[in-house]
Amino acid sequence: MEQKINIKNTYCQSEDVVAREIHGEFIIIPITSGIGDLEDELYTLNETGKNIWDRLDGKKSLKEIAMELSKEFDAPLEEIEKDVAGLTEELLVRRIVLEV
Amino acid sequence: MKTNFITSKPLPAFELWEKTKDKSPLYSFEMEITERCNNDCTHCYINLPAGDNEAKRKELSLKGFKPIVDEAVEMGAMWCLLTGGEPLLREDFFDIYLYLKKKGLLISVFTNATLITEEHIKFFKKYPPRDIEVTVYGVTEKTYEKVTRRTGTFKLFMKGLERVLKNNIKVRFKAMALRSNVHELPEIARFCRERTKDYFRFDPFLHLRYDRNEKRNKEIISERLSPKEIIEIEKNDSERFDSLKKSCDKLIMPSACEKTCNHLFYCGAGQGSFNISSDGIFRLCSSLFHPSCVYDLKRGSLKDAWYNFVPKVREFRSDSKEFLERCHICPLINLCIWCPAHAHLETGEMDRYVEYFCSVAQSREKMLTEKL
Repeated sequence: MEQKINIKNTYCQSEDVVAREIHGEFIIIPITSGIGDLEDELYTLNETGKNIWDRLDGKKSLKEIAMELSKEFDAPLEEIEKDVAGLTEELLVRRIVLEV
Repeated sequence: MKTNFITSKPLPAFELWEKTKDKSPLYSFEMEITERCNNDCTHCYINLPAGDNEAKRKELSLKGFKPIVDEAVEMGAMWCLLTGGEPLLREDFFDIYLYLKKKGLLISVFTNATLITEEHIKFFKKYPPRDIEVTVYGVTEKTYEKVTRRTGTFKLFMKGLERVLKNNIKVRFKAMALRSNVHELPEIARFCRERTKDYFRFDPFLHLRYDRNEKRNKEIISERLSPKEIIEIEKNDSERFDSLKKSCDKLIMPSACEKTCNHLFYCGAGQGSFNISSDGIFRLCSSLFHPSCVYDLKRGSLKDAWYNFVPKVREFRSDSKEFLERCHICPLINLCIWCPAHAHLETGEMDRYVEYFCSVAQSREKMLTEKL
């Protein structure tokens, strides 16, 4: 199911998942049923994904997150915005993040 | 092109296992949250009566378990098995389970299913376990209750199981092959396989009680099948026999004879997982009760137990001629229930030979090599 992402909106991590870093792997583990699309699967985030995830605090908009990351990694804002929106969309579909 | 930030993978495909395989990390742990059980099975190595107040008093509360769980999670544990006794006897079962869940652990539960209520089902549906393993003692009232020695438990078992199955909670089955139910084993296997997509396993290997209760140990011995009976049931179960046959080259290891050191532990004890008893005692595996191999977590930390105590235990050596010339170099060790833990339960020593175990292993070897 496609979810519309608005870069001006704010999103937060769902309380129905736990994020853990184990031996350098960043893993998202569902606590309740109905998270994700497949049973018995866990989710891993790559380094960029983790940087975005850490900032999905329900306070900053995606635009603000993208600006922060663009500054921190000295990368073009437009590209970062695409990445931030792309990941948030994937997480939203799986109910791993929620719109505030 | 769309960038992939997030990947979903089934557990066995995780890179984590490959990454950590040479580092002896902690993957999982078992929590025996009670030694008490509502059944009184003849073959059980741990069960105490459900109303045993002394046993109940010794059980760690959730508050007592919390620092151990926190450390285990911090050290990277992914799985936790909740077992007993019968874990559902704990009045705070839901609280313990939920605490583990919220720490990001995958949870398995071992249960006899007799205490599963609609409330459990509602809870498990909301907070799914990785799996529930139900032990099946018989598929008729007479056999089931001959093992459990509790009237009415068969009906409760069937009701509990029906609830689990009706609600599609992931279940797998285990049966102990006993003198009391061996006549029903094929029906038990059929019953289980018809009801799970996951595996069914049966275990004909009974080890003795950790509390060395003589009366109860005699009952366990009386439930043991003879080597001949064990190979008969293994041969007659094509699934089990095929899988034994497939891994025959790993199960029989002529290279074991070439061992030159005198280490006691060659098994997986303390390798990737550990066990906590209901009163907070750390063990390297569920059967290893030798006093020199246990660590009281009420007086120390899990990190100390895991990083300092475990390596010391795994360094234990034996100079026993009997051990060095028999079990230590035996190519049949993987077909045998012998290990330092089971030898201790049987004989009081971790490096003693056990004739019954050896006879079973030799019969199994004969079965596998004859059929090949």
